[in-house]
Order: sequence, then structure tokens, then C-alpha cells
Amino acid sequence: MRKSILLALTMAVSFGQCAFAGEQGNLVAQGAKVYNENCGRCHNPRPAEQYQAEEWSAVMPHMRAKAHMTGQETEAVEAFLASTLTQEKVSETSRNRTQSKPVSAETGKALVGQFGCQGCHVISGEGGNLGPALDGVLERRDPSFIRKKLHDPSFNNASSAMPRFPLGEADIDSILAYLKTLR
Amino acid sequence: MFNKTFLACTIGALLSVPVSAQDDGPLPQGRFVMGGYGDVTYADTEQGNGSFNSRFVPIFLFQLNDKLHVEAELEFSVDEFGAVETELEYADIHYFLGDATTLTAGKFLLPFGQFGPNLHPSWINKLPTMPGIYGGHGGNGIMTPLMPILNDMGVSVQHTIQLKGGSRLFFDFYAVNGPSEELMEEDPNAPEPLFPEVELEAKSVDNNTNKAFGGRIAWAALPSLEIGISYFKGPYDDAGDLDYTAQGFDLSWNGTFSSVKAEWIKTEADFQDMPTDPIETASRDGYYVQYAWSMRQLQKPALNPVELVARYSKINDIEAGERWTLGLNYWMSPSTVTKLAYEDTQLDDGTEDTRVFAQLSYGF
Repeated sequence: MRKSILLALTMAVSFGQCAFAGEQGNLVAQGAKVYNENCGRCHNPRPAEQYQAEEWSAVMPHMRAKAHMTGQETEAVEAFLASTLTQEKVSETSRNRTQSKPVSAETGKALVGQFGCQGCHVISGEGGNLGPALDGVLERRDPSFIRKKLHDPSFNNASSAMPRFPLGEADIDSILAYLKTLR
Repeated sequence: MFNKTFLACTIGALLSVPVSAQDDGPLPQGRFVMGGYGDVTYADTEQGNGSFNSRFVPIFLFQLNDKLHVEAELEFSVDEFGAVETELEYADIHYFLGDATTLTAGKFLLPFGQFGPNLHPSWINKLPTMPGIYGGHGGNGIMTPLMPILNDMGVSVQHTIQLKGGSRLFFDFYAVNGPSEELMEEDPNAPEPLFPEVELEAKSVDNNTNKAFGGRIAWAALPSLEIGISYFKGPYDDAGDLDYTAQGFDLSWNGTFSSVKAEWIKTEADFQDMPTDPIETASRDGYYVQYAWSMRQLQKPALNPVELVARYSKINDIEAGERWTLGLNYWMSPSTVTKLAYEDTQLDDGTEDTRVFAQLSYGF
């Protein structure tokens, strides 16, 4: 009886965690889409690193009113910003992030989904237009360019809206492996 | 043994829930942030010496709780005599009534068109000057604009409706103190103005008992397209008999490398030569169209920060004229830009003017 209760509890917790991660991932992807759709309507989107996370939380209600965003959309953008490197996190050990999963296109696909890249880039024919399409990107760009872009999004374009993400070298290897599969 | 291990795993899993939520959840809540923008502009005109001018425009944002948010924007500049000019662009409170409805009270930018409420800050405005149909602080060259950037004191409500297919409708409605008669010193030799002198600057006292009302309805297929219509009406004389009316149409299109902004405005003002005369109405209208193209499209790294901009403004009827403004921008960051612009204005009465501008603008 006790084993059953514990097993049920464990399953419930595990399920809850998976559901939370899934919801949060969806929210981040939705936030990236809202970010792409709304910020560029009036001005160059500001990369997350221009403000600290707490400052963004005071900026977003202002932008909610300016852009006629709904509360749900605002919450999604906040989740997206929280997933990126806001100002106080940029100096942290983003490049030293330990890689728990092996390098693979599958891991890369998961990371691209986790950080909502499709919000601003077309992937498999669908996505935002704030940045260039990622379909066939490695036919147009050298892998070293992509690696540099992920490390420092403004290196080739000072007005780039692309945020910095907490990615290690192995993460980038995985993303490159995934991008190779996009035609 | 098994049970202990299982229990430990369960507790560990339980404890991991809040940690995950903290790592990936929404932003940590802050209370205050100061942003804003500023610029320094060198203007070379035919009328005067080439001069530098500078502004500092801080924006204060306070988040009181999930439902309440306060915002205020000040503008500091220096006038021609060296005195510091201060202006309160807006100071209002938002109350988020629901997911898609926001109530605003205080002094706010009126949602008339897109340039006034959203595009006029210098780090957003792609040229150093205002479109010819809008007035700026310190005027707008020899062109007599149709209206200033409208702000006023009152209340407004906005609402968003999501439509099938991803497009949406934006609604804005407001009631404010409204326009008033412009108080000017009587000059017996001055020619009779062709358009009534209506003061649209916000005042804390209404000069008549009637409020001004207005609103904007827009359809947006984001991120590319937004089309809106605006309306504003209010009496401006002390008796409340003479109306000032403005209506507008605005369009915004954004592509990956280029954008188009356009607005058309028509203003009307009632007038009477003598109190016993019938009320007549004077009318003016005009428009501007702006095209911007980012040279990033050429895939030449050296040209990635460069943007070319062209804007045409035209005012019909009273004090008619047209203006071309051509600009070249160099973006140093997403919110820092150096602009060079050449502007040529020709009025229908034969007056001509050219101006050259260099501006460094920064959002912070």
C-alpha cells in the first residue's frame, strides 16, 4: 500500500514536472513569436541584455499598453526574456554551462525549440521574419559564422535584436547539427 | 531499503519543482526602471547659422502590482536664450482591467495615427525631423503643420480583439479637456489667419464645459501590416460653439529589410467672423509617406548598419506645400543611431527652404 502511494506520488511529480517544462517551453516559444510580431512594429527590438530581468518586468507593462498586447502575450514575452541572457546574466558563466546531453541534431532541435528561435526565424517553412530563415542556412553561411553569431549576436550587425542565450560549445555543436538537417 | 530509496527520490523530485520553476519561470518582479532617449542635432538652415541642439527625455516606469503601472516622460531641452525648457510629455497610470482591456488616466499621448503615440521619439523616428504634417517643438521649418503630437489630460480605454487567422483589432477611446482658443497679442496689422488659431497643447483647465472625444480603430496582421483610422473632436472656444475636428488614416508595413509608414490627416475648425454670422468651417488636409530600407539585405558586412530613408510630405489647401526628406542612418546599436538628412521644402506661395541635419540619437 505504502509502495503504491509512493509510486503514485513519484509519477505525479514527474508528470507535473514534464507538464511544467512543456508549458514553459510553449510559453517561451509563444513569447518569442509575440516579441517578433510586436517589438519591430515601431522600433528595433531591444536585445534582452539591455536591461536587467527585474527592469524588464517594469518595462513590459509599459509596452503592453503601447503595443496593445494582452496580459497573456505580455507574460509570454516575459518568459521568453527570462530564458535569455538579460543584462545581469551576460557576465555569468554562460559559456561554461555544462552539457548534460550528448551532441546531436535531436538535442539541437530541442534547444532551438526551448529558446523559441522560430519566433523570429523561419524553420521548416514556418516562423517569424525578424531574422533570416534558418532553412538552408548552412548552405549560405559557414558554421563558424553561426557559432560566432550565437556567442555574440551583434558581432556582424550592431542593431541586431537577437538575444544572447545561455549556450555552451556543446550546445552550439548540437544546434549546428540540427541546422544541417534544415533544407 | 527500496522504500527509503524511493522516498528519497520522491522528496528530491518534490524539491526540484520550485527550483525548475525559478530557473525557467517569468521574470523576477522589479518595481522601477528609468529608460528614455536623448539626442544631439546639428541643423544647418537657410534662415540661421548652423547650430547644435540637444534634448534629454527620461521615462520613469513604476510597476505597482500586476494590475497597476505608472509611467511618466519628461523632456529637457535648451531654448535659444539658454534657458532650460521642461515639458511633461505624459504622466499617467494604467489599470489592466482584464487580459485585453486597459484603462489609462492622467496626461497621455492621444492615440491619433501612429507617428504621434509611437513613432516620434528620436531613436525611433528614422529621420531627424518630423513629417511635414506634424509640428515639433521649435516648429517645423517653413511648413505650417496640420497638428502637433497630441497629448492631453483625461481618461482612455483600450481593448484588443484576436481574430481568426492571427490578425487582431485594436480599439482606443478617450475623453480629454480638449482644444482651446489660441491666446495671441492683437496685432492690427497682422493678416487674418486663413485657418482658425486653435491651441492643441494640453491644459489643466478646460475653457468650456464640453470635453473632447476621440479614438482609433486599427486592424493588424502582425508583424507586417497595421491599418488604422482615427477621429478627434472637441469645441475650442470659451462658449463651446466652435468645434475642432481631426480625422486620420494610417498605414504601417514592416518587412525584414524595409518598412513603409504613411498617414493622412484632415483637420477642420469652425469659425465666425462676427457673433451674429453663421458658423463656417475651414479645412486642411495632408499626408506623408516614408520608406526605409536596411542595406543589410545586400549581405555586405560593412553595410549592415546602414539604412536609407525617404519621406514625402504634402499639405493641401491652406498654406499648402510639399517636402522631401532624404536620410542616411548608421546604427551603432539597436537603439543608437547617427542620422544625416537633407530636406527640401517648397510652399505653393513660392517660398523655398533647404535644411541639412546631422543627429545622434540614443534610447537607453
